[in-house]
Amino acid sequence: MEDVQVVNLIVRRAVAGDSNAWEDIVHRYNRRIYNICYRFSGSGDHADDLTQEVFIKIYKTLSSYDLDRGAFMTWVTTITRNLLVDHFRKTKQDRVTDSTDAGTSAEEDSLTLGDQLQDSGLLPDEIQHKRQVQELVHQGLQKLSPELREALILRDLQDMDYRDIAIALKVPEGTVKSRINRGRAELARVLSRTYKQVI
Amino acid sequence: MAEETKSGMHCAEFEALLFDAIDGTLATGPLGQFKAHAAACAACGPMFADADAGQRWMQSLAEVEPPKNLVHNILAKTSGKEVRLAEQAGIRPARSAAWWQPVFAGVWATVRQPRFGMSVAMAFFSMSLVMSVTGVKVRDVAKVDLRPSAITRTYYSTQARVVKYYTNMRFYYEMESQVRDLKKAMTPAEGGTKDKTKDKNQRKDTTTSGTPKKDQEQNYARDEMQPLLADASMSRTNDVSAVEQGTRQLGMGDVDGNSIFFTDTTLTDTTSIDKARREA
Repeated sequence: MEDVQVVNLIVRRAVAGDSNAWEDIVHRYNRRIYNICYRFSGSGDHADDLTQEVFIKIYKTLSSYDLDRGAFMTWVTTITRNLLVDHFRKTKQDRVTDSTDAGTSAEEDSLTLGDQLQDSGLLPDEIQHKRQVQELVHQGLQKLSPELREALILRDLQDMDYRDIAIALKVPEGTVKSRINRGRAELARVLSRTYKQVI
Repeated sequence: MAEETKSGMHCAEFEALLFDAIDGTLATGPLGQFKAHAAACAACGPMFADADAGQRWMQSLAEVEPPKNLVHNILAKTSGKEVRLAEQAGIRPARSAAWWQPVFAGVWATVRQPRFGMSVAMAFFSMSLVMSVTGVKVRDVAKVDLRPSAITRTYYSTQARVVKYYTNMRFYYEMESQVRDLKKAMTPAEGGTKDKTKDKNQRKDTTTSGTPKKDQEQNYARDEMQPLLADASMSRTNDVSAVEQGTRQLGMGDVDGNSIFFTDTTLTDTTSIDKARREA
């Protein structure tokens, strides 16, 4: 049985009230949604809260999901994106006063240096450098406009195809490609300036 | 973008193939033309370089590990299955960030400031002072009935008390005024034979008791500077010599037609007046 069919079956069971099916959905998608939220909001705490909100929203509106209209992942991504946009609008004023290096990142919290050494086999200096680069890219991503940022996250981090991104963002596919192209170029310019300053 | 054809490829074609080239799905044939155009075109070359660099930066980002209690919190807030299982197993679930925590975090941060604490303390002290001065007790405040009917009844009873108090005060002052007038009216008859020192004391008392100025002047005239009107119905030609004689005996005074005013300040006794009248 294909993955899409499996997901559809799980969704049907969850809609019917099967708590195990709902738990399966949460286990399947929590990581993906958390990463989208984290890369978009830039904060681990916000990503935690937003991910929970997304699943509460999915739980309440699960019966409205139409299997024929698109993949469940696209539907979940659309809900996530809408909540992120709402969150972005609500916290617009807060972000004005926030420093770019304020707070701790989820990457720093997720794995210890020992775990990373054990996992990757890299030298401590290399791991430290990689962490710094990731932090710079993460901060550079936050400097992009939300339209460019969400398109880049869905394409380059979530590997969604252009058609599904267009459905999730409710824009034409050409607009998606244009945003991705502009986003990548803008990120490269931001990071080239930042990287020169750091180095 | 300039519509130019360089290295056998138009800029629009280059842009259309840009995503396939970056994604690595471009075939070998078109890829050669694509790279040749990127090297030759001043606009497309940097655009491809930036887009390619941006994509590589994005791919350098690793997937982030979600918090360990995320799934548990989600299930607790949705189906509640985890909570039920934890309760059955006797496990206390991890605390999740409630919706009210961000709200009260800011309020609590404000409350903890010493300035806020001092303001609250001063307000409490002021209220306690005012309540103790006015005689208000907390127990009485707690017993206050705040129903609309009770408030209306309290309002009218308070209004009636105020009116009654005002009426009583008015009656009291009227009575006090009448008694004072009566005392003043009685004072000259009783003190007519008193000596001069007592009269001075009485005048001082009268002055300080707030008696109207007119009454004071009347008393003063009766006591010391009382002008005496001698009704002399005699003819001027016959009695002028006698009047002048009497005036001379008194040492002061003057003849003014048929009436004679004695303004002698030393004249304090009615017997002296009668004597002068007889002599006149």
